[in-house]
Amino acid sequence: MDRKDIIRKSLIGVAGLVVMTVAGISFYQHRHYKEEVVISDQVQVKKLADYFPELSGSVNDCNIYMVEGSEPGATIMVLAGSHPEEPAGRLAGWILVEQAKMQKGRLIVVLSTNRSGTTVTRPSGAYPQLYTIPTAWGGQKFRMGDRWTNPLDQWPDPEVYIHYPSRQNLAYMDIRNLNRAWPGRANGTLTERTTFAFMNLIKQEKVDVVIDLHEAELQYPVINTIVTHEKGQDLATMASMTLTDFEGFSIGTEFSPVNLHGLSHREIGDNSDAISLLLEAPEPFLDATRGITGEKQLLEGKDAFVVKAGKHGLLYAPIDENGWPIATRVGRHTSTVLQILQSWNEFHPEKEIVCEGVPKYKELIEKGVGAFLIDPKTVDKGKVIFE
Amino acid sequence: MKTFNFTKVSRLLILPIAVALLITANQAIAQTASEPVLLTSCGQSPGPVRLKIFLQKDAIAFDYNLQAKAEDLINKKKEGKPYKSIIIVTGASLKGMGAAGVSMDDELIRTKALIAEAKKQGIKVIGSHIEGMARRSQGATSGDNTDEMSIDAVCAVCDLMIVKKEGDSDGRFTTISKGKNIPLILFEMNTEIEGVLKKVYTK
Repeated sequence: MDRKDIIRKSLIGVAGLVVMTVAGISFYQHRHYKEEVVISDQVQVKKLADYFPELSGSVNDCNIYMVEGSEPGATIMVLAGSHPEEPAGRLAGWILVEQAKMQKGRLIVVLSTNRSGTTVTRPSGAYPQLYTIPTAWGGQKFRMGDRWTNPLDQWPDPEVYIHYPSRQNLAYMDIRNLNRAWPGRANGTLTERTTFAFMNLIKQEKVDVVIDLHEAELQYPVINTIVTHEKGQDLATMASMTLTDFEGFSIGTEFSPVNLHGLSHREIGDNSDAISLLLEAPEPFLDATRGITGEKQLLEGKDAFVVKAGKHGLLYAPIDENGWPIATRVGRHTSTVLQILQSWNEFHPEKEIVCEGVPKYKELIEKGVGAFLIDPKTVDKGKVIFE
Repeated sequence: MKTFNFTKVSRLLILPIAVALLITANQAIAQTASEPVLLTSCGQSPGPVRLKIFLQKDAIAFDYNLQAKAEDLINKKKEGKPYKSIIIVTGASLKGMGAAGVSMDDELIRTKALIAEAKKQGIKVIGSHIEGMARRSQGATSGDNTDEMSIDAVCAVCDLMIVKKEGDSDGRFTTISKGKNIPLILFEMNTEIEGVLKKVYTK
């Protein structure tokens, strides 16, 4: 090896080290970015490990926000961040935690159901690591995430993923997909241990209804809908009919397939007393035919390529040049959650749940998501929780 | 002075009035049905649940069986409690059919036999489409025609149609109604379903 070769290889090595260092710092900052949540006096914060101590100290020992009314009633649990690359669910959850004032019953909200998935974006997806929701006080940053558990926390993936306990063969990478890992097991992967802990929580807290918030690409047939377990068909249908009639947007219902395992709407209903529902809002950012996956697309939901796909009849949800802005998607979720509570009360007047203060679809579109986020600098430090 | 012969005028008017009353009465009868009801689906969509909620609420006697077969009508007759009407909700769901382990072809065969047995027993067949354009081919992926197949299988041969108006935006059900002389009840809001059912079952 002559002198020139040594210099050339050294330069390549140094360039590689620089790239690794820059990328490493970027990954570290993303993984450790602290999102702020402001809680009221009505909110009690628990940890997931309270329901499965073996999870303590792991990345998925997430916060559990319990908003309890002064009068007893039903317990409804909202899961946000099962798929952390679907931000409308997490933002709707944020608004529920910060704005909900419970009169009767109890609302349990989880903002980072798969917390590990919030610490990474999709490899080669060119996603923004963080995005900012504009507010009157300058904006609040959130972590963009991935559909799957961070490979740093669970690796390697097997050739085939055999779901427990059904033994159904699923796609290999879905071993890190929290919504293919229900009901979980105590000695399983991190993702399975996480859903196992949630199942313990659902049983111990006697949750009546679990609502799992999601978003989907417009090329996916299950969109703008409530997917329901058999136990929740009447509840979901009543909510869907009322929303479509009076809320200003259309939402359908779909039955949870009995033989498709690992999903929350199937396994929570099968393995606990709770009714399990899953909400899907449209997210053009996830479409295969999307353009640049930048923060602008993430928040505005506008994409000329997805519009073109619609003109070719390839979509299951409409889209035009106005896109699907984040406020619209978050508003669909908050209104649907509130309507499910309302419809629950119609079927169970003896065990009501009454929640006030949460903005609905039209108000969110009018004022924007940022109008309902509380400035952490204006409250006591003890009232700020980090995700 | 010329006077009216009321007797003559009355005689002349009686016939058209009677005919008009008869037509109105027939139309009213055509838009009614009797209990007990069998509520089923052609295409395994979630639409029947919408009707189920209001049938329950209004205490209309019904059985809910999304995969009802001709044998169910026969067995009910053998028990001495025959169904008086069946409501078949059209619109297809690939998820629903997958969950039920059936194909669209299976659904069409089952529905054809069900309707044939209903006609044999004189059971009134009500075809329904509840979920609007989202459950029409326009709301499905390119090339997926299963929604329309279920509509063809039921609505063209039923005795009465109950349809969400928005799902008739292209005039599909109005055309069937006029072409086949099948009474059509259109409703706009989901919450109107209750009133429609009350009227049909005279509750």
